[in-house]
Amino acid sequence: MTAEELKRKFTGWVFDEIDLDITSESLVGFATACGETLPKFTDPTDPDFQGVPNYLTRIHGTRALPEDFPVEMHRCFDAGKSVEFHAPVRPGDRIHGTSEIADIYEKSGRTGSMLFIVHRMNFFDQRKTHLATVDWRLVQREFDA
Amino acid sequence: MILDLHSHSIASDDGRAKVENYCQWIERKGLPLDGFVLTEHRQFDDASDYRALEDRFGLLILKASEVETEYGHVLVFGVNDDLRAAFDFARIDNPIAMVLAESERCGAVAVPCHPGRPKVGMCAHWETRGPVEGVRIVETLNGGSREGENEIAERYAEEHGWSRIGGSDSHIVSHIGRCATRFEEDVRDIDGLVRALRRGRFDAVRPEID
Repeated sequence: MTAEELKRKFTGWVFDEIDLDITSESLVGFATACGETLPKFTDPTDPDFQGVPNYLTRIHGTRALPEDFPVEMHRCFDAGKSVEFHAPVRPGDRIHGTSEIADIYEKSGRTGSMLFIVHRMNFFDQRKTHLATVDWRLVQREFDA
Repeated sequence: MILDLHSHSIASDDGRAKVENYCQWIERKGLPLDGFVLTEHRQFDDASDYRALEDRFGLLILKASEVETEYGHVLVFGVNDDLRAAFDFARIDNPIAMVLAESERCGAVAVPCHPGRPKVGMCAHWETRGPVEGVRIVETLNGGSREGENEIAERYAEEHGWSRIGGSDSHIVSHIGRCATRFEEDVRDIDGLVRALRRGRFDAVRPEID
């Protein structure tokens, strides 16, 4: 299947959803691991206590790719995540996350052709506030349609 | 006049630099650049308008493209509607002969970039697939090249009599201006850049060294 065919078949629909509860301990732990020192990210007694803007990048869904997605995992590597921050995460929030494939494209690099798969997670709180959009890029090397 | 002819902003999937941050870096570091060209991967960025940044920083900011062919990557200066209709910029297997010919036909200039690089450079493919007709200019100084890769490009340019440009191939702010192109004439817009490239009075330079 070519990249274009994969894109037509697998992008633009939600293939996974998760719900999780946010605790102060989790927010502090992540902020501390990031080296954050501002009290609003590390001190639960701070009146504006919230998660660091990239907090939701730590959340994964139950699947990396839709069922039946033809990927050769032994050739894949993680090409990192980017986050678009919309609103802060607070302790006690119940988060709803949705997963979709946002884009599939090819490029050629020093090691040959590569297939990029963009797994996008959108996160909302219990008030339906859109908190963040996280794009995770998965790369398959030596892609040959 | 010195222009960095090869750079990427966040409009490219692997670009991590905002155009404003490039401008701020050039100003803060006092780099001897008069401007730079954004050559986004596999696309032409129609939407962005950098005129306000040009005025604020006194820099020329032009837009071009880096497309992909079976002989590696090629910069295309002077992208217009005719050229965009001629082939699919998003493909990674465009025939290089077609890219060169269509660019010429549509009034643009196509320049194989980092030609000494394996897989995505023209020279390795030249050895295995044969020569390419229509090459006039190559990028002999690329800021992202590894040891020996620019030397391969220079050797090919020397052997074939091609003109030489330089570009940083920057994807992050601090890499802008590592390599560039010095023009004998003033360039004020993309049409002027195309004219200057056609006239051939330019050379690849390392601005902070040369």
